[in-house]
Amino acid sequence: MSLAAASAPEAARPRRSPVALLVRFQSLLGLLIVIAAGLVFSPHRHGRLLFLQPDNVANIIRSISETGILALGMTFVIIAAGIDLSVGAVLGLSSVTTADLLVNDGWGLWSTLPLVVLIGTAFGAVQGAISTRFRIQAFIVTLAGLQAARGLALIVSDNSFININYGHGPGSAPPAFAVLGERIGGVFPVATLVFILLAVAAVALLNVTRYGRYVFATGGNERAARLSGIPVSRIKVSVYALTGFASAIAGIVHAGQFSFGSPNDGTGYELNAIAAVVIGGTDLFGGAGSMVGTVAGAVMLGALANILQLNDVSPAMQLLATGAIIVAAAALQTYVGQRSGGGSR
Amino acid sequence: MRINCRASWLLAGAVLALSATGARAKPLSATCGPNNDYVIGVAQANFKEPYREHVDHELQRLVKNYPKFKLVIADGQADVNTQVSDVENFRTQQVDLLFISPFESAPLTPVVTSLYKSGTPVIELDRKTTNDQYTSFVGGDNRAIAEQAGRYAASQLPDGGEVAILEGLPSSSPAIERLDGFKAGIATNPKIKLVAVQPVDWMEDKAETVFSAMLQAHPGIRLVYTSNDLAAAGAYIAIKDANKLGQVKIIGTDGLPGPSGGVRSVADGQWAATFVYPTGAAEALDLAKRILIDCASSVPRQVTVPTQLIDQSNAKGLYGKEQF
Repeated sequence: MSLAAASAPEAARPRRSPVALLVRFQSLLGLLIVIAAGLVFSPHRHGRLLFLQPDNVANIIRSISETGILALGMTFVIIAAGIDLSVGAVLGLSSVTTADLLVNDGWGLWSTLPLVVLIGTAFGAVQGAISTRFRIQAFIVTLAGLQAARGLALIVSDNSFININYGHGPGSAPPAFAVLGERIGGVFPVATLVFILLAVAAVALLNVTRYGRYVFATGGNERAARLSGIPVSRIKVSVYALTGFASAIAGIVHAGQFSFGSPNDGTGYELNAIAAVVIGGTDLFGGAGSMVGTVAGAVMLGALANILQLNDVSPAMQLLATGAIIVAAAALQTYVGQRSGGGSR
Repeated sequence: MRINCRASWLLAGAVLALSATGARAKPLSATCGPNNDYVIGVAQANFKEPYREHVDHELQRLVKNYPKFKLVIADGQADVNTQVSDVENFRTQQVDLLFISPFESAPLTPVVTSLYKSGTPVIELDRKTTNDQYTSFVGGDNRAIAEQAGRYAASQLPDGGEVAILEGLPSSSPAIERLDGFKAGIATNPKIKLVAVQPVDWMEDKAETVFSAMLQAHPGIRLVYTSNDLAAAGAYIAIKDANKLGQVKIIGTDGLPGPSGGVRSVADGQWAATFVYPTGAAEALDLAKRILIDCASSVPRQVTVPTQLIDQSNAKGLYGKEQF
C-alpha cells in the first residue's frame, strides 16, 4: 500500500475497497491468470510443457520488447493525462535513420545512436511544446506527428527499405550493432535486456523521484498542480520528450534486431503500447497508474498471443481475445472510478 | 503404431546418417514417410491484402487433396516482429514443414535460417529470404510480370500517349520490382510518355483519390498501370467520376478470382487487362508431398510459376469457369 500512496499522493483516496486493490494489481493478476492458463492449456512434448520451455519464454519476452519500451514512455504521457499516437511512426523514423546513417553514410555507432536518440527526443518534445503552447489536444498534435514522422522516414530512406549488412568499409554497418539481435547464452534476447534496463529506470523515475510525483500531480489535477507551484507546462513537454526518447530506443532495437530499417516499421505499434498501458491499470484520464502494471500488461499480451498460437487458435480469435481483455481492464477501472466518487477525474 | 513408425524412421535416418556421411539418398525431412500425419505451419505476411487471402484460400482448398496434411496458418499482421514470433512459435510446436511468405526478406532471414538448420524443410512462397538457407522457393517473378505488362501497355498505345503508374507501398520489394519492371516494359515504345508515378499503398480508396488528382493534372492520360487489382478498382472509380470511361485504359496486377476480383472487372470490360500473380499453392503443396510423404532427397530449388495475361479474349471464359 505504501507504494500506491507514494505514487498518487494528490489523489488522497480515502479507503481502498478490495475492488480498488484489484485494479491496482489487475495487470499482475491478469498476467498470473494468463500464465496459469498457459500451464493448463500448453501442449506437451515428451512430458514437458512447451509453454515453459526456456526458448519459448525467451520468444515471448523478445516479441514484446519493442512495444514494451514504447509502453514505458506512453505510461508517463497517459498519467500526465495525455496521449501519444506518434510512437510507432517515430520508431520507424528512428529505425530507418539508424540504418541509413550506418549503411549509406558510413557513420559509426558512437555518432549514429546518440543522434537518433536526440532526433526522437526532440521530435517528442516539439509535439509536447506545440500541444502545450498552442493548447491543441495531444491526440491531434501526435496524430499529425505520426504523419510527419512517416513522411520524414520516407524522405530519409528515399522510399526504400535498407538492409543492414555487417562488416568494415563502405556499405557495411559496424559488426557490434548486430548484438541487438543476439541472445545471451543462446537463450536470453539482448532486445529484452534493453527493455528490462529501461523498465527499471522508468519505475524508479516514476515512483521514487520528485519528477514522477509532478507527473502524477499534473495528470490528476492540472490546475491544482499549477497553483501548488509545479512547472506544469515543462512537465507536459517533458513526458512527450520521454515517449520520443523511448520510441528512438525502440527504433534502434528494431533496426538491430532485424538488421533492417524500413519507413513502415512500427506501423500500429502505438495501439499495442496503449493497450499494454491500459491493461496495466493506468487511467486514460490521467493522474493514476503504475509502471510495473505496464510491464506486466505488455508481458501479458505477449504470453496470451503465444499460448493462443501454440494451441492453433485462429488469428481472428486472437484479436477478439485481446480486444475483450482491453475492454475488461477499462471496465474494471471505470467501475472503481464510479465507486470512489470520481476519484482523480 | 504411428509413434513406432515415426521412431523407426528416425532410427533409419540416424543409421543412414551414421553409415554414410553426406549420404546421397538422405531424405530432406527426418520424419518423412507415407503413413504419418504432418503439420505444415504457414507463416503468412498478413491477412489484409486480398492477394494473401486468396493464397490462404487456395492452400486450404488444395490441402484437402492431402489427407495426411494439416495446415496451421499464422497472421504476420504486416509486421516483421509478429511474423518472427510466428515462426518461433512454429519451431516450439515442431511443425514438420514451414511455408513462409516473408513480409520483408532480411528481417525474417535469421529465424528461417535457424529453423532450416534445425532440420525443418522450408518452402518460401512469393518472397525469398536473403540467403540460401531454405529448401525451395515457389513464386512468380514480379519484375518479369510487370515488364510483360509494360510491353502489353506499349503495344496498346502504338502511337504513344501519356501513361501513369499507381505504385504499391513504397519501400516494399514487390512494389519496387513491379515499378521497375513496368518502366522497362513501356520503354520498348519510345513514343510513350510516363507523366505521373504515385504510391497508393496497394489501397483502393487511396488509388481513387490519387488518380482523380492525376486526371486533373494530366487530362491526356490514356493508360494507367496499377501494381495490384485493388488499386485498379480505385482507378476505375476515378475515371468514372471524371466522365472519362473508355478514354483511359486500366491494367491491373494479381488477377484475383471471385465477384470482386480482377478477372471479373476485365470480363465486365472495366479494365483492359490484368496479369495473374500466381499463388503457387498447388506447386508448394506438391513439393511438401514429395518431401514429407515420398521422402525425396532433393526437390527443385526454385519453382517459378508463370503469369497469365487476362484480357477481353479470355476473361469471360475464366470467370465462368471459377469455382467458389
